[in-house]
Amino acid sequence: MTGASPKGILETRDLRKVFGGVHAVDGVDFVLKEGELRCLIGPNGAGKSTFFKLVTGQIQPSDGQIFFDGHEVSAHASHEIARLGVGIKNQKPDVFDGLSARENLWLAAQFAHDKAGARRQVEEVIERLQLGGFVHRLVGELAHGQRQWVEIGMVMAREPRLILLDEPSAGMGQEERVRTAELLKELNRTTTIVVVEHDMQFIKRIADIVTVFHRGKVLREAKVDVVLSDPEVRDVYLGRTEVA
Amino acid sequence: MQRLFSDFRRPSGQRPGAIWWSFIAVATVVVFALPQVLDLAQLLDLSVVFVLALLALSMSFLWGYVGILSFGQTAFFGLGGYVYAVAAMNWGDTTLPFLLGILVPLAFAALLGVFMVYGKISDIYFSVMTLVITLILNKAMRATSGDQYVIGDVRLNGQNGIPGVPPLQVPWNPTVTLFIDHVYYLSAALIVLVYVGLRLLLTTSFGRVLVGIRENERRIELLGYDARRYKFAAFALSGGVAGLSGTMFAIWGNFVAPEMFGLGQAAEVIIWVIVGGKSTLIGPIVGTGIIQYLTSWLGTQGVGQVTLVLGVVLVVFVLLFKEGLVPTLGSLIARLFGGRRKQGEAE
Ligand SMILES: Nc1ncnc2c1ncn2[C@@H]1O[C@H](COP(=O)(O)OP(=O)(O)OP(=O)(O)O)[C@@H](O)[C@H]1O
Ligand SMILES: [Mg+2]
Repeated sequence: MTGASPKGILETRDLRKVFGGVHAVDGVDFVLKEGELRCLIGPNGAGKSTFFKLVTGQIQPSDGQIFFDGHEVSAHASHEIARLGVGIKNQKPDVFDGLSARENLWLAAQFAHDKAGARRQVEEVIERLQLGGFVHRLVGELAHGQRQWVEIGMVMAREPRLILLDEPSAGMGQEERVRTAELLKELNRTTTIVVVEHDMQFIKRIADIVTVFHRGKVLREAKVDVVLSDPEVRDVYLGRTEVA
Repeated sequence: MQRLFSDFRRPSGQRPGAIWWSFIAVATVVVFALPQVLDLAQLLDLSVVFVLALLALSMSFLWGYVGILSFGQTAFFGLGGYVYAVAAMNWGDTTLPFLLGILVPLAFAALLGVFMVYGKISDIYFSVMTLVITLILNKAMRATSGDQYVIGDVRLNGQNGIPGVPPLQVPWNPTVTLFIDHVYYLSAALIVLVYVGLRLLLTTSFGRVLVGIRENERRIELLGYDARRYKFAAFALSGGVAGLSGTMFAIWGNFVAPEMFGLGQAAEVIIWVIVGGKSTLIGPIVGTGIIQYLTSWLGTQGVGQVTLVLGVVLVVFVLLFKEGLVPTLGSLIARLFGGRRKQGEAE
């Protein structure tokens, strides 16, 4: 370990990931304080998902360091990082399609609890996310939005200290998005959260500080209204996703 | 209604339902009543189906539940047979050799598991490696025809194999040995017990995680489970079951030979499992029975190209019944009984 002691709950130093010739993540220094609800935005291919995958050990960095809660986790396997208290919802639904929604939640909950505790936790998540209508159905048969909810539920059921959500509101209707935003604010009372989103209405609803990725680098990091009125940010987004 | 049949299609970690338990009860009664109506030759044929079905189970448990195709389960099958044969012939007693016939292959699988599971070998290499290992053992055994290849008092005998493997003795009364009908009862009891045991294992926390690995290994890891530990344990367990199968095979035929490790045997196991359906545990048992009887029937009909016919059967099954016989039938029955709902709906 070189340099100063790690800051915040999550810190990356000069983090890099190269795929062939593509610098997907290209020297990212990122610091997240405990208790934040941070939004991560940027055009398609900016490296947001790659950044999340690096932090959760799904892929190994080409260079640079990752610290979670004071531990260097740059070379950790994903289950080790999960055990330290990081939960993630990937961009593509990443669930157990052949199992019922309840079994999905149970597998998440039982890792962090004893048998009775897991059962209670599962019921609590079902109640909180209003999954009651379809907990008995196979997740593979559910609508895209419902599968997202199940996955969010799985992340919650483990009660991680840091939650990473990659486009949680994709495939959801307007009313579901509002519910998701409310849920995130509520979760944020006890948990640090980073959200990747393209939907600016959604971001405005929840965000405080926004980090903008562009071509694998951090382009801006500031309060939401400052970022959204920044000409360079608008420029980057131009013709891709409209910045309202 | 639907979920009542899910055990015959793609079992999850849910407890098996009443239909499944009734099926077990009926099957057990039938199997144990059969000696009343079958003659000894027929019992002998059926015994080996049960014995080989254990081998099929060891593969489908790993393949259907954990998603690992171990092409070379015959490595543990052959090892179990040879360990029993050599130990029993040396010691005269058979109880400890019987246990070693399970434990040595289990330990061997565990050892391989350390390298192959923890060595981050990809699934396809894993399959190839297991096949290579069984072929190496096959070759090594065939090369033991010289007088120098002796373990204790037992000559390994190269490709001629070891004849005169002692029958199993009653543990508490070694002067009594198991005769054909006893071997039948023992094989029947073992297949029922191992099948029920593996099915119930799925309802434990351990088994439910195995099912999770089958469904989505990355998600299992992201939830904090070390998938490799589970795969390792499952691989060792399946090695033990294959070893039990080999041990019983040696007892059944009083004979072991290098073919137990061979490519032909390894391929046959795959055919049993694919024809029966790998997603259920009952499928491979049925598949073993069908193929075994088909093979010997073809033999009596004077069909020379048995292997060719088996190959065609395999292709037909892969193309027509992708999931295998039992899951396909299960879905069919389920559809007949109730609307559009699919497996695993309730609970
Ligand atoms: N496994 C991979 N192999 C090769 N290239 C990859 C891989 N994963 C991502 N990339 C590339 O890395 C770059 C960043 O991709 P990433 O998915 O991180 O972007 P993103 O910001 O999440 O985009 P989006 O908003 O579309 O989800 C892209 O150019 C992508 O093509
Ligand atoms: Mg992305």
